Amino acid sequence: MNGPDLRSRPIIEVKNVRKEYPIGDETVVALKRINLSVSRGEICCIFGTSGSGKSTLLNQLAGMEKPTRGEVLIGGVPISRLNENQLAAFRQQHLGFVFQSYNLLPNLTATENVALPLMFRGVPKAQREAAARKLLTRVGLAHRLDHFPRQMSGGQQQRAGIARAFIARPDVVFADEPTGNLDSKTTVEIMDMICTFARDYHQTIILVTHDPEMAAYASRIVKLIDGEIVSNQVNPKERLPHEA
Amino acid sequence: MKQKDMLRICLQNLMRRKSRTFLTVLGVLIGCCSIVIMVSLGIGMKEAQDKTLAQMGDLTIITVNAPQGGRGKVKLDDSLLRQLKALPGVEALTPKLSLEAESIRLIAGTGKRYLADWTTVVGVDTAALEQMGYQLTAGTLPKRDGEILTGQYLAYSFKDTLRPEGRNMIDRWAGEFDDTGKPVDPPPPYLDPLKQPLTMEIETQNGKVTLPFTPVGAVKEDYSKGSETSEGLLLNMPDLLKLMEKTQGRKGKKPAYDSIIVKVKSIDQVEPVEREIKSMGYPTESMESIRKPMEKEARQKQMMLGGLGAISLFVAALGITNTMIMSISERTREIGIMKSLGCYVTDIRIMFLSEAGAIGLIGGLIGCVISFIASVTINLISLGPSLENLLPAIVGGESVTRVSVIPPWLLLFAIVFSILIGLGSGYYPANKAVRIPALEAIKSE
Repeated sequence: MNGPDLRSRPIIEVKNVRKEYPIGDETVVALKRINLSVSRGEICCIFGTSGSGKSTLLNQLAGMEKPTRGEVLIGGVPISRLNENQLAAFRQQHLGFVFQSYNLLPNLTATENVALPLMFRGVPKAQREAAARKLLTRVGLAHRLDHFPRQMSGGQQQRAGIARAFIARPDVVFADEPTGNLDSKTTVEIMDMICTFARDYHQTIILVTHDPEMAAYASRIVKLIDGEIVSNQVNPKERLPHEA
Repeated sequence: MKQKDMLRICLQNLMRRKSRTFLTVLGVLIGCCSIVIMVSLGIGMKEAQDKTLAQMGDLTIITVNAPQGGRGKVKLDDSLLRQLKALPGVEALTPKLSLEAESIRLIAGTGKRYLADWTTVVGVDTAALEQMGYQLTAGTLPKRDGEILTGQYLAYSFKDTLRPEGRNMIDRWAGEFDDTGKPVDPPPPYLDPLKQPLTMEIETQNGKVTLPFTPVGAVKEDYSKGSETSEGLLLNMPDLLKLMEKTQGRKGKKPAYDSIIVKVKSIDQVEPVEREIKSMGYPTESMESIRKPMEKEARQKQMMLGGLGAISLFVAALGITNTMIMSISERTREIGIMKSLGCYVTDIRIMFLSEAGAIGLIGGLIGCVISFIASVTINLISLGPSLENLLPAIVGGESVTRVSVIPPWLLLFAIVFSILIGLGSGYYPANKAVRIPALEAIKSE
């Protein structure tokens, strides 16, 4: 696979994507005809109510599902056409994930969890765990390095989740309702953290949410209703992180 | 992923559900033990059988007889001896001819006190005896003319003429017998034939010949070589021929032997050599006709026992499959997460296969240790539980018959087989794990 072209063109291009699901005898159209491009360094919020198709769109963007029609390019690579192994390699190199339910592996410590993407790449243990500890310290978990997920609060788990998403320096980080399970104070902390990382490394964030509060952090807001983009505009009141 | 990381993840996952892993390993362990112990009993049985046969006689001896009982045209002569000697696989041979007479009596002791009414006198090639595997229980092999060998139990043929008739012989078979049918500690005979001059009285139609002779050694009883090794006399062939001339007047006649005893180099050469001799037109006898069916039967028993053991290992395989499927359905989400973080499909497959293989390996290893201990215990019980029996129980020995024999290849086989069973039963679950989509990570609970 050639290295994706990251500079000249939009990092994410969605071309005429349509997604249908068969439910029983009927076919449900989740995405009608989506065209979207996101530039590098943007924090793009996909905003919509539940059932609007925002999660489906995320799945197409991240290569979790294949679109029924159309294609998704990340850095020029048509990820909707990669096979399982190419996709795994592409994820290792270019994608990061922050999940709503944190999704740390329960039998690994915080450090091991954060180091996981590097382990899949074949980075030696000492090296990857040093990197993981450094990043965990940066997200304020220096005192939780060897704790297991069940020994940490939701906010702490999500911070580890963020560290894991960013450790491999991906081009794009997908965040699916990253604060959906957190209280409002922690939400602010988490969002600040994601945005700070993104700005520091000039990374692109795709943020999926139904919460207008969170949409405020984005530099661009894409509104989705019934599988169609109804508005796509730069956020004039972008909320900047409180501090780095 | 690095192999080291793979191993670490594999062990971590096995340790997560300790009791489940333990029970699955226990299944493999029992299966492994049952195979090893069953097969070891089979091998022990065969070993005991071989030892019994070897005690009955030398297994590498073929007796060649004359066609039509020697009355036909074809005789066993010196040219045949040379022919047989040249066959590949033949180590040594000796002709055998017994002295025919109406009676052969042996007399010993002062005043002809000890008397043996009947004995067999056989001529052999005494120079070849050592190569032929004749063993001596006392004395030496004859080196000069006139020196002869006695059978191991010749002494029991003598009766003491000073004692009352009916109670003047010692019955070697009166006492107890061991497993192989040999008498245990027979009472001592009246005399040692090697320690005194003997006189032989031979009666034929032509009259009576009396001559003294000196026994120099006694040969060990061996049924495959003939009854003279137990209660007869063995002469060098030229001596016997001279004796025959004296008693029967068969002067200058070319000798025709009763039989030729052929020793081959190893057990597996008995069959081809025997077939070769048969094809030359001579009837033969060997222990092979006993050994072959016994070996076949032993192999059948071994297969049967091993098969029984294998059944329990296959049941254990179902256990492994079940455990792996359980663990995969528990870890569906985890597999999705790993995939979304960029774990290769092959790595996930290897991860689950190595977990299943590790269960097999651990079960196999512990199973081997336990079956080894069990085998030694069985042997110790059969040999009598004492400390000096410990070593024979483990490694065996010339005079030790073990019930359970575990050769190293059996342990190796059991471990490899257990690993293969593990991998085989992990194959289906691993495929199942591989098919879990990355999307599972995003699905809300």
